[in-house]
Order: sequence, then structure tokens, then C-alpha cells
Amino acid sequence: MLPDLAGLRGGAAILPELVLTGTVFAVLVLDLALRRSARRGRVLLLVTCLGLAAAATAIAGVSAGAQPLFYGMLVADGFALFVKGVVIAAAVVGAILAALSPEIRRDQLGEYLILLVCLTLGMCLLAGARNLLMLYLALELVSLPSYILAGFRHGDRRSSEAALKYVVFGAAASGLMLFGFSLLYGLAGTLDLPGIGAAVVARGLQGGLDAQLLVVVAVLLSLAGFAYKVAAVPFHMWCPDVYEGAPTPFVAFLSVAPKAAGFAALLRFFLSGFGAPLGFPAPGEFPWPFVLGVLAMATMTVGNLAAITQDNVKRLLAYSSIAHAGYLLMAVAVGSPLAIRGVLLYLPIYLLMNMGAFLVVMAVHDATGSETVDGFRGLGARAPYLAVVMAVFLFSLTGIPPLAGFIGKFFLFAAALQTKSMFFYAVAVVGVVNSVISLYYYARIVRACFLEKPADAQAPVRVGSPAAALLGALAVPTLVLGIWWGPLLGVVEKALLLPR
Amino acid sequence: MGFEFVVVLLFLTTSAVIVGIALWLGRFLRPRLPSAEKASTYECGERPIGSAWFNFNPRFYLFALVFIVFDAEIALTYPAAAVARRWIAEGRAWLVVAEIVLFLAILVAALAYVWGKGELDWNRDLAGPEEMP
Repeated sequence: MLPDLAGLRGGAAILPELVLTGTVFAVLVLDLALRRSARRGRVLLLVTCLGLAAAATAIAGVSAGAQPLFYGMLVADGFALFVKGVVIAAAVVGAILAALSPEIRRDQLGEYLILLVCLTLGMCLLAGARNLLMLYLALELVSLPSYILAGFRHGDRRSSEAALKYVVFGAAASGLMLFGFSLLYGLAGTLDLPGIGAAVVARGLQGGLDAQLLVVVAVLLSLAGFAYKVAAVPFHMWCPDVYEGAPTPFVAFLSVAPKAAGFAALLRFFLSGFGAPLGFPAPGEFPWPFVLGVLAMATMTVGNLAAITQDNVKRLLAYSSIAHAGYLLMAVAVGSPLAIRGVLLYLPIYLLMNMGAFLVVMAVHDATGSETVDGFRGLGARAPYLAVVMAVFLFSLTGIPPLAGFIGKFFLFAAALQTKSMFFYAVAVVGVVNSVISLYYYARIVRACFLEKPADAQAPVRVGSPAAALLGALAVPTLVLGIWWGPLLGVVEKALLLPR
Repeated sequence: MGFEFVVVLLFLTTSAVIVGIALWLGRFLRPRLPSAEKASTYECGERPIGSAWFNFNPRFYLFALVFIVFDAEIALTYPAAAVARRWIAEGRAWLVVAEIVLFLAILVAALAYVWGKGELDWNRDLAGPEEMP
């Protein structure tokens, strides 16, 4: 009897993941082989970027399809492929940032890149996971390298504190999520997400009040893991401390890529596990949109209000990233096709503006040693280029036209208003008020750049040409996408053409 | 409803009662010779030295991690070895060999990495160039 290998077919669909695994392997061996070579850092960065580029090419070559792979563990649909593309792009920027930053010791760059590619592999698997077991494993593959990278500044007390806080929070959230998954398994008898959806609809709705309550508790517990990954209330507390202590190049990556993968997993969890589109609940249905909508409102309000009083720019951007998780959560709560389109459109735009802002923070910190808002005083005179691109990124984060952030937010809010329900009107109003609040603290940095005189040093801040080129590569699309977003929207539409 | 759990309850009560009786009867039968030695913590027949709350050498941790690499090797090689004979009979020998060789290559790379980085060296300066402030 031949063993049944039909379920193992689909090797071509996971080619990007295989390429990433090979890249990890190659960087590991090269790091060892070249450990006495002076050019090790450059070679390793080159190999990493080539590997990531090869993985991106492989993504373009995968024919998107909704059929499950590997006994239903993974799926390579357009949605997953798009998110994989975003996280790989973030990984390329993250690798270059690490090579540019003096916070990562040269002899440890190889280890950093290995862990970074491992993390990217985990996020690619997370984007395509359609089974709770696979989802959990992928989430842990994202979490474990993150803990190490957060504490990567050896001998630095704040970096170690960041890593420890991240681990403790991560372990708690992951435990809660596993407990939720176990309840879902007990209810449905399967770990397959669509199977769970069918079982929940069949049994949960007709099983009386206690069965319904169990479903609600299980989903709320599962939400803990996702909320932790995307830094949403009430699992956002780790965010400012980790962002403040961890090395800046890693924070730039952490604020974008795991968030993108986390939102992809959250969307798939709700949409394939609990029916799409969600819409507003009719009586007797589960109130997911309501729960997620309340979480979204709480997340954006907490993020924006706490950001107002921050003096440390990294902490400020941490709270701003919590607020952005809130805007995205609002669209997840809506769950309509327009909302999913909005989330997918927002992710690459958020990548550009947030990683750009962190790159400026990194450059200013490396030149002046300051991470506070005061450190940005007079930057307009000391480094006009840095100050101007920082203003572009920050106004884009606020969502001011004609910058890319406006288009991203426009689609998120349009999705909420399209529901024509009083509740989502309220969520959208809270979101708009929050955007106005966010203008205050983003503008505070811009004001420090252009309107305030530096306290002491007048010396110009120097930026290396690689960093300047990377800043340009992030700032130009931020400007262009605000006016000409058609091509990106086209890619998103194409990604969503296939049924999930 | 829940009647099947009565058996569990019976077991719990019976075991508690039997242990109680055994300890109570022992009071009348055993000799009473208390000593300081008996009151101390039991540590595998050895006399305990100092407190158990002290910092262990982190090298143990590194070695434990490396050990896990080989622990995982056994756990993951065994299934392939278990089906090897059947698959060879079915003409899939190359699949088993390729699987195991690829897996072992990754493990050997991990070991070489640890070795090359000097982590297997017991007498090593763990603090690195920077001390904790």
C-alpha cells in the first residue's frame, strides 16, 4: 500500500516559506564560515536581502488558490500572499536598518539577521494558517525570535527589561489564547477554522444559553493572543516599555510586520471561523462586531490620550501604533469586503510611514544621543532633509491629505460608514475625534523641528547616504500614494478576487 | 446527573481515611527518636549545603539548550525510522534517506554554529565586552 501523500502536495505554494528557510540556513552557515572576515556584515546583509527578494519573487509566482494545503493546515490565497508580501518588504527594510544602526554590534549582525528571517517565516505561515494548531505554532514562531531581538542590546538594562516584559506578557496572552482554542476544540471537535465555524453555527446557535456563553468565552480568550500581537487594549501595556527599551531598528520592524501578520490572522479567524461578512448582529447571533468595535474604540482612545503626555519619541510612537491598531480593529469589526480591502491597503501604507518615522528617530538618536521630543528641536536647521521627511511621515500618520495615510484611513472609515448602523457611526465619530487628538502630538514633534531653537548643540546632524536613500525610498511612496493610489488598490482588489 | 462522579468521591474519601488510619496506627508502633538530621531537608541522602536559592551557572542553560537539539533529533527521526522498512519495500527508499539527511544536515549546522561560536567551551568569559551597569 502506498502511503497517502495527496495531502502533502502543495510544495509549490509554500515556495516562499521554503526560500525563507533556506535563507536562514545560508545566513547561519555563512555567519560561521566568515566569522574572521572583515566583510562579514556586508555579505550577510546582501545574502539576507537576496533571500528575501527571492521569497518575494516566489510569492509573485505562486498561483493563488483557496484550496487547503497540507491536510488543511495552510492556504495560499490572494489575501495571504498579499500580507506575506508586506511582511517581506518590512523585513528587507528591517535588515537594512539593523545594518545601519550602531545599536546592533557588528559581530552580532548575523545572529540578528537569522532571527529576523525566522520571524518573517513565522509571519508568512501565520498569514496563511487556516488551522488553530498551525496558527498557534506560527504565532509562537513570531513571538520567540521577537523576545530575543527585543533584548538584543547586550548588557543594556532597559533592553533586558523590554525583553522580559515582552516574554511575561506574551506567555500570559499565549496561555489565554490556547485555553480559548481548547474550548473551541471541545465545542467543535476540530481545529480546522471553517469546520469550527460550521460547528459553532450548528451547535452554538441552537444549543441554548450555556453553549452560546461558552462560544463567547472561548472567542474572547482567543482574542487575547491576537490583541497582544497587534497591541490592542487591554493587551497593549507591553508596547511602550518594549518600544522604549528594544533596539530602534527592531522596534521599527516590530511596529509594522507582526502587526500586519496579527491582523491577517485575526481577520481569517473571524471571517473563515465565524462566517463572512459579519455585518451587524441580528438578535440571537453572536455580537462579535459589537465586541470588536468596543475594543477598537478603547484601543484608539487609550493610544491617543496616552501619547499626548509622552516626551520620549519612541514611547510616543508606541502609543501611536496602539492607536493605529484601533483604527484597523474598527475595520476588522465591520468585516465587510470594503473593510478587508481597507485593512490590506492600510498595511503597506503604514509600513512606509511608520518605518520611515522610526528611521528618522534612529538617525537623530545616533547623531545626538537623544530620544526625546526636545532632541528634535531645531532639526529643521540642523538637518533639513530629516526634518522634512519626518514631517511627511508624521502628517501621513495623522491622516492629512494629500498623503498616503489619508487614503488608508479614508477606506477604513468608509467601511465603517457603509454599514449604516448607529453603532459603527459612533465608532467612526470616536475615530475621527481621535485623529484630531493625534494631530496634536504628531505636530508637537514637527513644531520642535521647525519652530524651536535647539537648547545647546548647533552642529548639523549628519545622515549617511544609505540612510538618506532609504528615507527617500519610504517618503516618496508616502507622497505619491496619497495622490495616485490606483495601482496599489488594484493589487489589493486582485488579491481579494478569489473566495477566501 | 453527575452520578458517575460518586465513584470518584468514594475513592477520594477511602484513600484519605486509609492514609489517616495508617498514620494514626504508626504512632503506637514506631520508636520516637527525633534528631536535627531528620528535621533537615532531604537531598538525595546528602547533607544539604547552603540555600537552594542561588544563581546557577548560565553555562548549564546553554548546554541544556544544545541538548534539546539532539533530543528533538531522536523524537523526529524515530517516525521516519519506523516506516523506513515499509517505504523501502514500496520503492520509496530515496524519500526516507533524503528526509533524514536533510534533517541531520540542519542539526549538524546548528551544532557547528554552537561549536564555532565557542559556546561548548566551558572556561569562557560569559560577561562579554560590556558589563551590566
